[in-house]
Amino acid sequence: MTTRHRAAEAGASAAQQVETTLFRALVVLRVLVTVYTLARNGSRFDQFARPGLLLVAMGVMVGWTAFTVWAYDAPRRRRPALYVADVAVAVGLLLSTLVIESEAMLERQAPTVPTFWVVTPVLACAVGAGWLGPLLAAVVVVAADLSVRTDISRSWGNIFLLFLAGGMVAFSTRMLKEAAEVREAAERAQAVQAERARLARAVHDGVLQVLALVQRRGAEAGGDLAELARLAGEQEAALRRLVQADARSLSLTGTHAGAGPPGGVADLMTALAPLGSATVTVTGPGHPVQVSDDQAREVRAVVGACLDNVARHVGAQAPAWVLVEELGETVVVSVRDEGAGIPDGRLAEAEREGRLGVRESICGRMADLGGSAALVTGPGGTEWELTLSTA
Amino acid sequence: MTGDAAVVPEQPLRVMVVDDHPMWREAVGRDLVSAGMELVATAATGVEALARARATRPRVVVLDLQIPAPNGVEVTAALVTEDPTVRILVLSASGEQADVLDAVKAGATGYLVKSASSAELLDAVRRVAVGDTVFTPGLAGLVLGEYRRLAEGPDNTPGVALPRLTDRETEVLRLVAKGLSYRQIADRLVLSHRTVQNHVQNTLRKLQLHNRVQLVRYAIEQGLDDELGG
Repeated sequence: MTTRHRAAEAGASAAQQVETTLFRALVVLRVLVTVYTLARNGSRFDQFARPGLLLVAMGVMVGWTAFTVWAYDAPRRRRPALYVADVAVAVGLLLSTLVIESEAMLERQAPTVPTFWVVTPVLACAVGAGWLGPLLAAVVVVAADLSVRTDISRSWGNIFLLFLAGGMVAFSTRMLKEAAEVREAAERAQAVQAERARLARAVHDGVLQVLALVQRRGAEAGGDLAELARLAGEQEAALRRLVQADARSLSLTGTHAGAGPPGGVADLMTALAPLGSATVTVTGPGHPVQVSDDQAREVRAVVGACLDNVARHVGAQAPAWVLVEELGETVVVSVRDEGAGIPDGRLAEAEREGRLGVRESICGRMADLGGSAALVTGPGGTEWELTLSTA
Repeated sequence: MTGDAAVVPEQPLRVMVVDDHPMWREAVGRDLVSAGMELVATAATGVEALARARATRPRVVVLDLQIPAPNGVEVTAALVTEDPTVRILVLSASGEQADVLDAVKAGATGYLVKSASSAELLDAVRRVAVGDTVFTPGLAGLVLGEYRRLAEGPDNTPGVALPRLTDRETEVLRLVAKGLSYRQIADRLVLSHRTVQNHVQNTLRKLQLHNRVQLVRYAIEQGLDDELGG
């Protein structure tokens, strides 16, 4: 195999590579039936009415076989015209039987001039032309075959086998293509993950170091540099979250991190990590906390609502802490701030005024998930404790 | 006898800084020196760190985990094995990842994120030096998760008692993870600051002990296997 050939193959899709492999298997079949046909016709050479024309027909068959070996090997040459021409050659060879074979041969239903060779264009269509291609090809070949018969009663067995072979090859081809595509997608996803992990190690860590350093030195220098330090701090927190989310999603192979298709499992730590910032600390176990996708999405929304409350009532720069704990079949998420606390009756009052904010978005949502939300508030701050069952 | 302590001048704290980033080594070193500590050595790789620690015997090692081999976790284990009195303060850029937990299990008693201020760093070095443990909420969350993982885990080594937290220790660790300072925890639980500190220290000590027991068992099993196989 030449390097150019290899490069062309590397660019081909998984499905095309499957086709190429099957066409190469078909080459073996084609050569075998060609040799068989030559031998068969050679052994009864003296019976033909026009031996000269038979030699021409055999020349065409061998030449076309050689051409198809080359033509089907590259995906870009596998066009509808090639399949049509392939079937047309088979039909032509079949029809030539009428003029090449003697009356006696035709009378006793002797094999046609191309014998089994006519199967190969149908199988080529089955590999490369979906469902309808091989079906049409088989119909056309069968029609041509029947047209050279005087008695069609002995052909049914072969016709049945032709359709069966075409159908089975088409079905197997499709299965193989699908399997190859799934594998290719999995390999690609794995390569992307590995590359991200490499980036996280090599680049992120260096950048994190520098950002942390800028933040540190800038804060000491004060003035304009303090503002620069604050910005560096924000970027550092954002980048750190990204690196951690990467590490988590890598340890959660086979499941979707964060949000996946409905009904799947998700890692609650990955789902909550984006809520972290320079002021909000998101903490939990070092391993993935598996919950359902719905739970991950809803808990994230609830924790987001709690943090919004902190930003609104305590201050945009107020620190807050989110702790995720896994206690057997229960997951507890705590959200704490150090504000002045919510005064007694404040929530009930808000509810009477028709503002359902906190109760609806936090308690209601947790209740919908079959969980609960408890509030402890006092002069030392406010703490929400969200409890969720993963059983 | 009581007068001796006052007469002997206080020795400056001997510190070594290990970080592969020259700017960081310099920045941290400058902070330590300007606070009156003695910077006995700096190192950029694990190999340098082990060699220079042997030669200079620092009291505290400020250690970045992402260094050229051997990595921070292995350096921690080796330093603590050679000198159980050395104190390791881990300084990490990428936050609370698995390697921080591994370093703590290997014997580190303090952990800070690199974005911490100089004041926080100096405070942490001083506290680690006197035997206190320096936690972040993130580390407390990891340690809590580790105890629960060990309690449920299928990979328990038979014959090795699982480390367990007392109710009080769990309570204290949860409050640390929720961002409360030791002072705030002491107030809330009506305990002394020292008692809170002891509870936190115990959580790490049990984990480190369990880790060591498991390593020894593993080594023995490997050794036996080798003998039987050879």
